[in-house]
Amino acid sequence: MTLKKFAVTFALGSIALLAAGSVEAQDVHINAAPVGSPSVESGESHIGDITGHAENGKKLYRRFCVGCHGVDGNGQGENAQWINPQPRDFTDAIFKCRSTPTGTLPTDQDLYDAVTRGFVTTNMPQWRPLTPYQRADLVAFIKTWSPRWAKEKAGTPITIPPETPVTIDSILRGRAEFQKLECWKCHGPQGHGDGPSAATLTDSKDQPIRPYNFSTGTRFMCGETNRDLYRIFMTGLDGSPMPSFADVVKPDEGWDLVHFLRTMQPLKTEEKRLWIDYAKAHQNDIKPIGPDAAAGAQ
Amino acid sequence: MRLKYFVALGVAVMISSAMVVFATPPAGSGVISGKVTYTGTPPKMKPIDMSKEPSCAKQHATPVLTQNVTTGPGNSLQWVVVYISAGDDNSGTPTQAVRYDQKGCEYLPHVLPMGVNQPLQIYNDDQTSHNIHPLAKVNQEWNKSQPPGSPSIDTKYDKPEFIPVKCNIHPWMHGYFAVLKTSHYAVTGEDGSFEIKGLPAGKYTVTAWQEQYGNKTQDVTISGSETKTANFVFTATPY
Amino acid sequence: MSRRFREGTNPMKLSLRSRFFACAFLVLGMLACDVRLASALPTGKVIAIPAFARKYGLPCSACHTAWPELNNFGQVFRDNGYQLMNDRDSPIWQNPSYFPIAFRITPNWHRETADHQVIDSIPGGGGGSVPIDGKVIQSGFDLSGMDLWSAGTIYKNISFVLLPSSDPTAVWHFESAFIRFDNLAGSRWLNLKFGRFELDNIISEKRFLFLTNNGGLYQIYHFNVPGSLNNFGYGDNQIGVEIAGHSINSYERYSIAVLSSNEGGVNFTTDVVPGAPPAGRSYDVNLAYTQGFNAPGFSESGIGVQRIQPFAYIGRRPTYNETTGGAALVGEGNKPFYRIGVQGIFTFKNLEIDPLFMHGYDNAYLGTATPSNSGALPAGSQGPTFNGGFLEAHYYFNPQNVVMARYEQINVGKQALPSAVTGLPGNYGNVKAYSVAYRWYPIMFSRAGLAVHAEYSITKSIGIVPESGDGTGGPPLLPTDGVWSSSTFLGFDFAF
Repeated sequence: MTLKKFAVTFALGSIALLAAGSVEAQDVHINAAPVGSPSVESGESHIGDITGHAENGKKLYRRFCVGCHGVDGNGQGENAQWINPQPRDFTDAIFKCRSTPTGTLPTDQDLYDAVTRGFVTTNMPQWRPLTPYQRADLVAFIKTWSPRWAKEKAGTPITIPPETPVTIDSILRGRAEFQKLECWKCHGPQGHGDGPSAATLTDSKDQPIRPYNFSTGTRFMCGETNRDLYRIFMTGLDGSPMPSFADVVKPDEGWDLVHFLRTMQPLKTEEKRLWIDYAKAHQNDIKPIGPDAAAGAQ
Repeated sequence: MRLKYFVALGVAVMISSAMVVFATPPAGSGVISGKVTYTGTPPKMKPIDMSKEPSCAKQHATPVLTQNVTTGPGNSLQWVVVYISAGDDNSGTPTQAVRYDQKGCEYLPHVLPMGVNQPLQIYNDDQTSHNIHPLAKVNQEWNKSQPPGSPSIDTKYDKPEFIPVKCNIHPWMHGYFAVLKTSHYAVTGEDGSFEIKGLPAGKYTVTAWQEQYGNKTQDVTISGSETKTANFVFTATPY
Repeated sequence: MSRRFREGTNPMKLSLRSRFFACAFLVLGMLACDVRLASALPTGKVIAIPAFARKYGLPCSACHTAWPELNNFGQVFRDNGYQLMNDRDSPIWQNPSYFPIAFRITPNWHRETADHQVIDSIPGGGGGSVPIDGKVIQSGFDLSGMDLWSAGTIYKNISFVLLPSSDPTAVWHFESAFIRFDNLAGSRWLNLKFGRFELDNIISEKRFLFLTNNGGLYQIYHFNVPGSLNNFGYGDNQIGVEIAGHSINSYERYSIAVLSSNEGGVNFTTDVVPGAPPAGRSYDVNLAYTQGFNAPGFSESGIGVQRIQPFAYIGRRPTYNETTGGAALVGEGNKPFYRIGVQGIFTFKNLEIDPLFMHGYDNAYLGTATPSNSGALPAGSQGPTFNGGFLEAHYYFNPQNVVMARYEQINVGKQALPSAVTGLPGNYGNVKAYSVAYRWYPIMFSRAGLAVHAEYSITKSIGIVPESGDGTGGPPLLPTDGVWSSSTFLGFDFAF
């Protein structure tokens, strides 16, 4: 008898729910793509052999992203006011971590990597636990926020030549470059993010921003390998004070700089080991990096 | 004999007409000139402290002043871009490059007008690195490092926009690229005066843009080779 | 939510009309809360917040399919020791006004019934009253218990949970309390948890979407063959130490736990409330391994990863007590038991399917309640076994609307003693249970949570009253009777 009662209620309930479910259960308070950009439905992303679809990404955006990035995709989610650095404003289509030259749009792979890897020291989590399909869908949806994606193609990824060997000479040349290129003006002589210009840095939205502190950083914003580091200063971090050095640094010099930068991080790397050995042997010879023009030259 | 003369004359006339037709657009001889002034109280321009960059600081006997509202004698406003915003045929992209210098940790000129797709060359004349960071919103925003001794950065913009330019390393550096569709523009000098030359006859809308106070527009009609006066007055506020 | 399983009840009769209204209420509740209204409420700015969401600024739906159930991102967060691994997890990076605490309680209206109950033919039990078979019904407004959940990091890679929990009468106990050393030797494959905690099961009874006395538990997570001395529940929090590890996206996970054989009790007793009997000195082991994968065609556009988890719990329980003057001192005469099975979470678009199968075995001494020092077992005794599980489904219309349904069944495989001896039917203790529920989260941001919860659950058990959250009901007159117990529920589940 109780089973009959259950069946009746279950049936009534199911009918009610089916009625409810037959309504298009799309969320209604997420803005669709802004005027002038490709429609949400036709937006796609291509990462490897996975195709992402903006329509699915829209549902995922609501679940995972809206709290920070906002219902309008402009980085003004409900939590944005308590977050530093501020969440990315997708309507500008300006992205920090790219494989493409400064001023150009990132590739789908760049956006996918950014979502997967997150941004260390920020509130942007590593979304790696999402399936690759979900991440590809999110990339496709993110691209619908700005009309630039309809009018411009993504930039051509820069060519990263094979890495040169890690030697103390490479590190010393890199150190000379760090001096010559005046990286220390923002990053500080020891890479602590305390250079003379560090305190006044603002990003492209006029928000104060701090340069990367090599001495505490276990990862970079845009990756963790030497290749990632090479790419950072060869493409610049658009939207931030970090410029592109592609026009002024040759590939070999770029690798030298990478090797030197590694010595400033608290990691057990080959570069660090070589540098420590050298520093012990040449304590009195090493000139500090800084405003003195001859410093750093070795 | 006379026939040859006439033929030669006819050919000459045809050639010269052709030159006129196929060369630069009919350069009219109308001129719009005037002065840009302000009423009210503008902010005081402050001296810039360049002590963090000694190689620049020593280039200035007296500190350079900020330039967001640069005033001159007779309540004039300098660095106002006056340009034809409507009525111009906008034909032809100038091929001559315009030049932007970073010198003494200042942008020279403070406001640089240029045409859409006109080549732009940016030079670093200082002994310090600058990063050149034009904050375009309609055009592409990019950011490049330019150490001393490096070659010019050659680029151009393909959409009209007033683009603020900054250097992150030297936060006091502010400048503007005024990318304009028209080739008829001028920037007011120290006395606030401007002159836009070479205007064919027609009805024009003239706009004056000041970086802090925005736009003012006027309609001016040119018939023939006359000089019309158009003055602009901005209401200045102390902040 | 806390689950206390005790005996005792005071039900009241209800008419047919009222029963109808209860069903109608549930249906109307579902209609009223339909998806068209779902996202209507504005998201204002509220200051008070559930702990993790406000620490990291993520919406509830980032970690939860529908709170409290975790999605894979939330699972990784939990496996990392409640850390995002963004170099900002240590509490030193938090605003000093942030405090890692969340409260949760569910005021509700509910109705409980149980049939085949023994009641007095004359209320009051006066002269001439005989025990008769009757149906007991009780309903009204009520409170749930309350959780005061604090969890987070003490330091980078040292995380903790402290969860004092109360029943509706505000009797408090520690549901969970542990410290966890995360990423030992820099490896996410080595994490050490120490204290009282939930066993590592991906279908968690503590973080699921049902709340009623009948539906708010998995029958098989608490089942023991009737008559057995065993008090183990796979869904009960245990006390001990666990080593666990996970891959970077938690697609692969393992855990090995060594636990006291005291059902998570404190003070060397078998419970966390005063007055519980003393426990023994032995230890149990729990093993679990999880594998996640993306099924092409299934994971695309879906809500998550496919996961499967075989598990095994091998334990011991005492069969008699060392006593003094007849009062129990320490449990002795341990005999083994095990529970093994496999569970999974599978998703397809907005649908989530959670199946679980478990096989259980108790040693014959436990099953027949024979002290192991008393010599031989009764004739014909054998170690009782049972097989069972459940199939649960959720459909997420969107992160703020979910409908759930579950079917459970447990069959006793072998009774401890033959029917001829006990006079009990071979299916004595078998369970069938059905639940259907709906949750609507009218607000979902990172600050506080509210869910409107409607549920109907019924359970049947042969010869005994089904296991239920409030322990209501008693055995029927006849051991062959199938006792049906039902819960109808409408509540407001809020957390802040």
